[in-house]
Amino acid sequence: MDTQNQTKRLLDAILFREIWKAMKVTFKHMFHRPMTFQYPREKRTIPDAHRGALGLLRYDNGQERCVGCDLCEAACPSRCIKVISEEDKSLPLQRYASEFYIDITKCVFCGYCVEACPVNALAMTKMYEYSTHDKRTLLFDKKRLYEIGEQHLEDAKKYLYAHNQEQDDEESRAYRYHFPQPIGKIEASDS
Amino acid sequence: MALKPVTTPDTEAATIALNIDGETVTAKEGVSLYDVISSMGKIVPAMCYHYTFDPFGSCGMCLVLQEGKKSPVRSCTAKATEGMVIRTDGEDLFAARKKAVEKHLSVHPLDCPVCDADGHCELQDMAFEHQVINLANAKQKNIPEDTRSLVLDFNMNRCIACGECINICKDVQRIDALQFMKKGGFTQVVAKGDHALDCEFCGDCLAVCPVGAITNKFSKYVYKPWQLRKTTTTCNYCGDGCQMQVETKDTEVVRVTSPLSWKNKWGDRGDTINGHGGLCVRGRFGFQFIDSKERLKEPLIRKETGLVPVPWIEALDTTAERLKDIKSRYGSEAIAGLITARCTNEELYVFQRFMRTVLGTNNLDSSARYGHMNFVRAVHHALGINRMMNTSADITKAKAILVVGANVTETNPVASLRVKTAIGTYKASVIVVDSMQTNLAKLASHPVMVKPGTEGTFVKGLVKSVLEQDLIDSDLVAQAPEALVALKAAARELSLETVARETGVPVEMIQDAARVFAEAPRSVIVCGEGILRQHNGYDNTLSLIDLAWVTGKLNKPGCGINTFAEEGNEQGAVDMGVAPEFLPGPVSYGHATARQKFSEAWGSALPDAQTGKSLIEILEDCRAGKIKALYVVGENPLATLPKSFGVEEALSQLELLICQDPFLTETAQYAHAVFPACTFAEKDGTVTNQEGMVQFVRPALDPLGESALDWHIMVGLANGMGHSLPYETTQDIQAEIRKLLPGYYNLGQPRPVVADPTAYLRNGYADSVDARYAVNGHARESGRPYGLKLIQLIYHSGKLSTKASGLMDIAPNTGALRMSLEECERLGVAEGGRVRVTSDQGSLELEVQTDVNMLPGTCAFPEHFNEPPVKDLVRVVVDPVTRVPYFKTTQVTIEKM
Amino acid sequence: MAYLEDQRETVYKVDPAHPETKDLPILRTEELLLNMGPQHPATHGVLKVILDLEGERITKSTVVMGFLHRGVEKLAEHGTYHQFIPHTDRLDYVCAMYNNFAYCRAVEKLMNVTVPERAEYLRTIVAEVQRIIGHLFWLGTQALDIGAMTVFFYTFRDREILLDWFDELCGARLTTSWYRIGGVERDFTASLETKIRDFLAYFPPKIDEYVVFLEKNRIWLARTVGVAVISAEDALGYGLSGPTLRGSGVDYDLRKYESYGAYPKCEFSVPVGKNGDTYDRYWIRIEEMRESIKIIRQCMDQMPKEGPVMAEVPSVTLPPKNRVFTNLESMIQQFKLFSQGFDAPPGEIYCGTEAHKGELGFYIVSTGAGNPYRLKIRSPSFIHMGAFDFMAKGYMIADAVTIFGSYDIVMGECDR
Repeated sequence: MDTQNQTKRLLDAILFREIWKAMKVTFKHMFHRPMTFQYPREKRTIPDAHRGALGLLRYDNGQERCVGCDLCEAACPSRCIKVISEEDKSLPLQRYASEFYIDITKCVFCGYCVEACPVNALAMTKMYEYSTHDKRTLLFDKKRLYEIGEQHLEDAKKYLYAHNQEQDDEESRAYRYHFPQPIGKIEASDS
Repeated sequence: MALKPVTTPDTEAATIALNIDGETVTAKEGVSLYDVISSMGKIVPAMCYHYTFDPFGSCGMCLVLQEGKKSPVRSCTAKATEGMVIRTDGEDLFAARKKAVEKHLSVHPLDCPVCDADGHCELQDMAFEHQVINLANAKQKNIPEDTRSLVLDFNMNRCIACGECINICKDVQRIDALQFMKKGGFTQVVAKGDHALDCEFCGDCLAVCPVGAITNKFSKYVYKPWQLRKTTTTCNYCGDGCQMQVETKDTEVVRVTSPLSWKNKWGDRGDTINGHGGLCVRGRFGFQFIDSKERLKEPLIRKETGLVPVPWIEALDTTAERLKDIKSRYGSEAIAGLITARCTNEELYVFQRFMRTVLGTNNLDSSARYGHMNFVRAVHHALGINRMMNTSADITKAKAILVVGANVTETNPVASLRVKTAIGTYKASVIVVDSMQTNLAKLASHPVMVKPGTEGTFVKGLVKSVLEQDLIDSDLVAQAPEALVALKAAARELSLETVARETGVPVEMIQDAARVFAEAPRSVIVCGEGILRQHNGYDNTLSLIDLAWVTGKLNKPGCGINTFAEEGNEQGAVDMGVAPEFLPGPVSYGHATARQKFSEAWGSALPDAQTGKSLIEILEDCRAGKIKALYVVGENPLATLPKSFGVEEALSQLELLICQDPFLTETAQYAHAVFPACTFAEKDGTVTNQEGMVQFVRPALDPLGESALDWHIMVGLANGMGHSLPYETTQDIQAEIRKLLPGYYNLGQPRPVVADPTAYLRNGYADSVDARYAVNGHARESGRPYGLKLIQLIYHSGKLSTKASGLMDIAPNTGALRMSLEECERLGVAEGGRVRVTSDQGSLELEVQTDVNMLPGTCAFPEHFNEPPVKDLVRVVVDPVTRVPYFKTTQVTIEKM
Repeated sequence: MAYLEDQRETVYKVDPAHPETKDLPILRTEELLLNMGPQHPATHGVLKVILDLEGERITKSTVVMGFLHRGVEKLAEHGTYHQFIPHTDRLDYVCAMYNNFAYCRAVEKLMNVTVPERAEYLRTIVAEVQRIIGHLFWLGTQALDIGAMTVFFYTFRDREILLDWFDELCGARLTTSWYRIGGVERDFTASLETKIRDFLAYFPPKIDEYVVFLEKNRIWLARTVGVAVISAEDALGYGLSGPTLRGSGVDYDLRKYESYGAYPKCEFSVPVGKNGDTYDRYWIRIEEMRESIKIIRQCMDQMPKEGPVMAEVPSVTLPPKNRVFTNLESMIQQFKLFSQGFDAPPGEIYCGTEAHKGELGFYIVSTGAGNPYRLKIRSPSFIHMGAFDFMAKGYMIADAVTIFGSYDIVMGECDR
């Protein structure tokens, strides 16, 4: 080892050079804009693809999209969805979800239910502030889910577009006419 | 086509060898090639094939390549022949099958999300398996859904025209209620004549429909298969003991499915001799009583204000105290118990042990007393056996079947299919003796319509005819020649003309029937309520045994005498000794060795051998004030027996009436303590079917509310009385039964029974036979021209089914008297007109309903309904030997109002 | 209790040779049993280590695991293959993407599915981004554990940028579930591509910054150089992998050996250490970040501009949603796959993937049903903890934190 190098090392050690070098970086950051933001006052911009709370959607004419096919329940990896379906007596061949529950405490926000839904009745929204003191209120029922869907309709649509579930409003309207099909019903004539 | 079965008991098909995928296989000549392939364990996709009926060949999926042929052949309709070389796999076949799937898919609607079959759909499976993508030319059918039927909806948009529903209805059920019809440019399945479907509603078409074209109204749109929990259990409605799958979602029963389904299609037609795995309307659609809103959920105790809900501990404590008190004050003899034969074997066993050891009384009986006991006592007495002799395979393969007074298509629909198969597939001669035009009579080769209540006389006529025509089997008779002499002597007075006059059947017909029965190599007797539940049921059963004996049909293979049990576990009730005359086994209650064995096992002396009262005696003693406490488990004598018998007085005399039932029955209204019991769907245990097969009952649901298992309640009561019954689980009871009755469970397979009439024929036969064949054995009540029958409907079983809303939708209580059209015209009443029906017991105004199955001179009312109280018109007659109450027929006059 | 009695006896035993010492306490040395964790900030979760100490030296250590056991492997047996992907997020919960990647690769190998080219590139880019995140997370926490707090802030600042990028990509920052069997859930958007290119320019100088803090810092050197040395032979013997193994001089990297994803099309080097001590492992991770940047840059340049991101195997992969609405066959495919899953061919398969911690392997036993008969996860954290006793022997208590820190353990993956 040559003397020059050795001297440099000795000097570095005596003068705490590596500390000064590190301090330089730290001092530079004093003039940097803060990276943090003050949460309740400032909020993150949430991307469109964000997987937040789930909401149920309606068609433009107010008809519920959900037909109660229960595929979301089958697809859910954490078994947090429960669908109770029934026949809509007023219309032939109409099945609908009379009750729909999502236990949001169990939900893992994977988005599989949205992917599974054959009518795009479910969508995830940008809603994330629903903490509560009562855990029971976190069992979202059909009413609550439709409310979320209505309040965050734009977000929900953006979610569907972002995740290639739908392309635009036009397509969603077109799908409606493919499903469910309107067919007649032969009823007993005498009774 | 009749490709299968090629081997019958009478003909043996030749064995051939053929080559499938390079393997040499042997098969019977003439069977479907598809069967041969599936017997190798290879699965060739097929949508229209099911082993229970002849191949139909509409789906075009089961394609295989035969060497020497250019294009693929449908393996289901092709017969296996010697030397065939077959290839079942390959790219080309896959593509051909894919084409076939695409054909079906291209006209299928896009409604998987709402379809009930989704997830259990063969078309889905096939499309997925064959990786169909990018279909061209898909179009919709747009056929309106047919919702006219009460039970099934037909959505012909989804139909793939496989014809499975039509075939099973025609080939297996032999009802033929469905047909293909070209309508709106598509071949559709419609009910015969395009009316609303009105059939037995067995639901086999629903089970085999591979898509969602036929759906069940009672569970429409409320489930997806993956939500349901399947529990395989045994049906409780009748003694057939059909296996079924109760499918539940949380705490409700959504539907019941059968082992028969399109999914279970690979079998041998030969297997169906034991049953095709289907269910009847009751099993499939009568499940609503299980989670009915009327179910009792808490124990009730009678206080000043009436029946008040109390906690279990209090209910059991109070009841046990009062039982103890009655026992100490009046003695054990003042306590009696009744149990329904719908309970499991384990519960029946615990019940009789509880009654005999804890309460120390032999006053106990089950609902087998209403008729089944006649058969059991008769065969026990004469042949030394305790149940029917044949298996269902014997019945299917019989050459001649004598069905006496048994409307088996209504009471035991699935067992009756064995008779139907014998008629249809094996071409058996069937003699149906009944007082109404039963469904079986319509199919039978020898339908014999007798006047109501004369079935027994007809049987005697048959015996006489056999003797006259010398159709006697020498081998069997040689064992006891003196008995034959006695029989001949007894029957000397009886002339066929008398029989013909009484029964209304021409002499030639009797002679003919006797000849058919006696000459067939395998003859089977099936007797039912027309014999067992009517006057002289015990004697008439003995006459049937005479008939089987003289014609040599008693211990030849495939011959025998049988009955079909009417309630779920009647046979089990007998086997578990729930009767004053039997100990578990069953052995006679007086049998010294058996008594010692059981008293040692139970650590308690048994009540005296001479004691013990049966159902009727118990109720009579209640009325007389001799019995002070009655423990009723699931029974409902008040609703069952006619008013004239005075059950009401009997019950109101009691100091303590304990009712244990899933429902608050009429009897329970009089109770001092009511315990909520479970239905079979919540129970764990076994039941014994009429053939002696011990089958599992498995819990599909947790007990509803606070209801408890019957044996739990009995053990609780025993504890309250200071005795302990050493059971913690059903397995404990089973272990005890296994120890005391070795081989009873026998892996579900009954031990074959061997009838041995020698002892009976040699000892005392001559003394009893005279009285049986005495002329004028059946005295007609004079002055009342019409025979009133309380009949059974296929849609109902006892009173239990009236709690099932599905069955009540299908067959509501019309409250109308059923009469033939002819008779209505003679009386001048139209459908819906009113008549007055008068019997010795009273008079009633009723509506009239025409029924094509009724014969002139008879009228009928379903026994399942008490409103209007038609049953009260009947008088109870008690059998002198077996103490069986008869109250199913009477003579009435009918006047137009 | 008996043990304590014995101890007391030893302490107060009077030496019979010197009765005069009866009243004096006997001076003696004794081993100290120290319970570290499960509630300890430096245990990266809930790890408990029982240390036998002689003075401050560790003579023996017993690792107690299972505090975070959630039965993930059992869960896999009860769902379809597809349903298990979100569960893999929760293994190594700071680096979900790589778990997804490893699992999907295993199932693809089982089902013999080939992933489209663009999807392979996307997968590689995201996997390398995840590797950077993992190393940043490690660097921050390891420095924090040893006592250097500042680095933690800087690494987490940069990690945040990437997590936000994940959020935009798949909708979640940590529980990503972006990989699918046969491809990826969603393609990059223009904005995502711009952002990642910006990051490529932004990040390399930042690495130098971290290095400034640590490379020559005498405390850092004192705490890492020569600490937890393991020879190449022992490392192989203990089944170590990843930077922990390469630190000992073994050139083993599945990205080179198995060459999955787009790695074979990229040029990159695998840094290998010499001494097998904590410092070498630190250095390897720093270098790997630089290599990752290189890989991402190459992938971005080579990637086909257009193309499917999901394989089209009707029996395994989901149909595009627009077809589900209009075609029956796609509707059926959707229903079958979500309600019953696909039936895997019977057999066993093992597929290892080079995650930033080491070799993350999935072993699947299939009986031909729609769900695995058994699924075993070879998690590097778990395997590495096996070597802890061996590596900690003779070091100080304070080094215990350094040592399991240097494996980069995450208990979610370790206990599964």
